[in-house]
This record gives sequence, structure tokens and C-alpha cells, in this order.
Amino acid sequence: MKRLIKYAVLAFVVAVVTHLATVLAAPYVLMDVAMARVSKADGINHWTHPPRTTETSRKVVRPSPDLAYSACVYDLDGGPVHVTASAWDDYMSVSVFAHNSDNIFVINDRQAPQGVDMIIVRKGEPHPPGAALVVESPSRRGIVLQRRVAPTQERWEAANAARRHDICEQLKS
Amino acid sequence: MRSAFAVFAAVLVGIAAGFGSAWLVLDNGQLLSRTEYDYWFGNEKAGSTAADPYTRGIIAKIGLLALNRSETIYFHRYKDQDGRQLREGCVYEMSGGNLPARWWSITAYAGDDFLPVNGDGAYSVDATQLQRDADGRWRVRIAAERGDAANWISTRHAGSFNLALRMYNPDAGARDDVSTIPYPSITRLNCSEGHA
Repeated sequence: MKRLIKYAVLAFVVAVVTHLATVLAAPYVLMDVAMARVSKADGINHWTHPPRTTETSRKVVRPSPDLAYSACVYDLDGGPVHVTASAWDDYMSVSVFAHNSDNIFVINDRQAPQGVDMIIVRKGEPHPPGAALVVESPSRRGIVLQRRVAPTQERWEAANAARRHDICEQLKS
Repeated sequence: MRSAFAVFAAVLVGIAAGFGSAWLVLDNGQLLSRTEYDYWFGNEKAGSTAADPYTRGIIAKIGLLALNRSETIYFHRYKDQDGRQLREGCVYEMSGGNLPARWWSITAYAGDDFLPVNGDGAYSVDATQLQRDADGRWRVRIAAERGDAANWISTRHAGSFNLALRMYNPDAGARDDVSTIPYPSITRLNCSEGHA
């Protein structure tokens, strides 16, 4: 009986540790999956402009069919990453997500009516000279996401045209 | 030898129980620690760097890449007016007025947290496309068939589904106190055989 209790306690302790480890690791694992899916077509440090969101959009859970999304997986290993997003005449935002899935930065069209032009650097690293907007990322990798309100096919096509020249690339020295 | 096997078995059971219980929690958006109004629930820490590990994990599982509350307020709904799970086999009426945000939308998701696969292209309603009454109020039919509804969200092939309310650039009052938001009401009108 005593031995049985010993094994039950062991199983309980392992269960608690595994439970907590899974909860803590889940955001990183899910972000890894999302980053792999997003960067599959166009690679790292490059905007991906997916087609209009429909029932076949299955890269990231709970997509909104009323938004035109663009995503870029950033990797700061080679230095800062330069991100631009052109202006839009309705709600638009550019947001940055760290590896643990936290939304570490967001800016919208009201705050940047001429469009967004920003540099992502690793937290603690020097800011590039002359950069007006610098975002410090606590992680080496993460996702930049662009949202533009585009609830109709016509608006989606306009958004698709607007974002065509947007940049997400390693900063040229 | 027997004792080593018992230790191995206990560790295996522990790992399975720990992983399984964690996944059950992460997979159940309804367990999100939350504020709730008329079965609409949300979490002010969604997307925030101040989120606790469970909130961060659940959001990552059911709403990865959610924005923080200063930018967007998200609320979710899984139940009708009497607390019964929303189901494909039932017809619901959702009604409301203008919501305190620059732009908002309400979208249906199937149990896998993706848009229902039905080819209807009627996944959502949004503030710019809704047909409204003269007084600005609106009604949406949430059902597998459109019928003669002006506004429709299709739940065909959605199974047990849920709704997501997104409010982008919410007004200061809503941001400061989400209890002031006039949440849309949802009423179950009827269900087909086997879905009572």
C-alpha cells in the first residue's frame, strides 16, 4: 500500500510538471507552427500577402474574412529588419508579435496616416541612426502582421494593390 | 525489475495526465479567465505582455496574433440566451445597435476555430455592410439557410460553433469599462429534429 502511494505521488508530481511545462511552452510551439506556415511561400524577412480570407484560409486560427492580412516572419539574427506598410483610407494597423505570442507593438493608420515605416531591433541593441520609429523585440524571431479593413471583394482588391510595394527585409547598411 | 517498471509506468501516466489536462485547458476558450456579459466573454489581457501563462496559452491556441485591448476589444460567444451551446441545427436571431468602435465585425467559427467550410461566403457581418432599420438597429439571421433575411451568417457545416466580436479602435468609454458596451443579443428561435 505504501509503495502504491509512492507511485501515485510520483505520477502526480510528473503530471503537474508536465502540465505547467506544456502551458508555458504552448505559445512558443504555436508561434513556431505559425511562423513555419507563414514563411513557407516567401521565406523569412519578407511580406506574404495571402489571398482573400475564406474557409480555405487555415494558416492561423480565427482569421477575419473582413480584413486583408499580410504577414512577415522576422529574424533579427542578421541585424535589424526594416518594415513599411503603405497608407490606407480605412482602419489599418501593423503589429509586432514576439516569439511568446505577446503583442509587443501596434500602430494604426490614425497614428501613421502616411503609412508605417519602422525598424525592428533586438532589445538592448543600438538603434539605427536616423530611424524615426524603432521597435525593440525581446525575441530574435516573431511575426509582423498587417491588417486592412476590406470587407468586400472590391475593397480587398484595392488593399491588395496598396500593399504591393510594402517592405519587410533586413536593414541595408 | 518490477519496481523499475512501476516507476516507468507512473512517469508515463503522469506525462499523459499532465499533457492531456494542459491541452484540454488550452483548447477550451470558455475557460479563459474573463469578464462576461450576457454570455459574451473576453479577457483584458489578451495579446498583452502582462498576460498570465494560461491566458497567453489559451489565446495562442484559439486566437493567435490577437491585438491588445488598447487597439482592439475581442469578445467571444458560445451560448444562446439560455446558456445552451450554439449549434448548426438551430436558427438564431442576433440583434443590436451601433457598437462603440471605429469599425467592428462579428464572425462565426466552427469548432476547429476556422471559418465553416460551406461555400456560402457568409461568414460574418461588419459595421459597413449591415442592412439596418431606420433607427439604426440591425438584425442578423444565424442559421444554415438564409431564408429571406437581409443579414445572414451561415452556420451550415459549422457544427457546434461560436462567434467572435471584434471592435477595432474602441471608444475610450468602452476601453475603460467593457460593461458599458451594448452587446448584441442572441435568441434561439427554433431547432430542427435532433438538435433540440
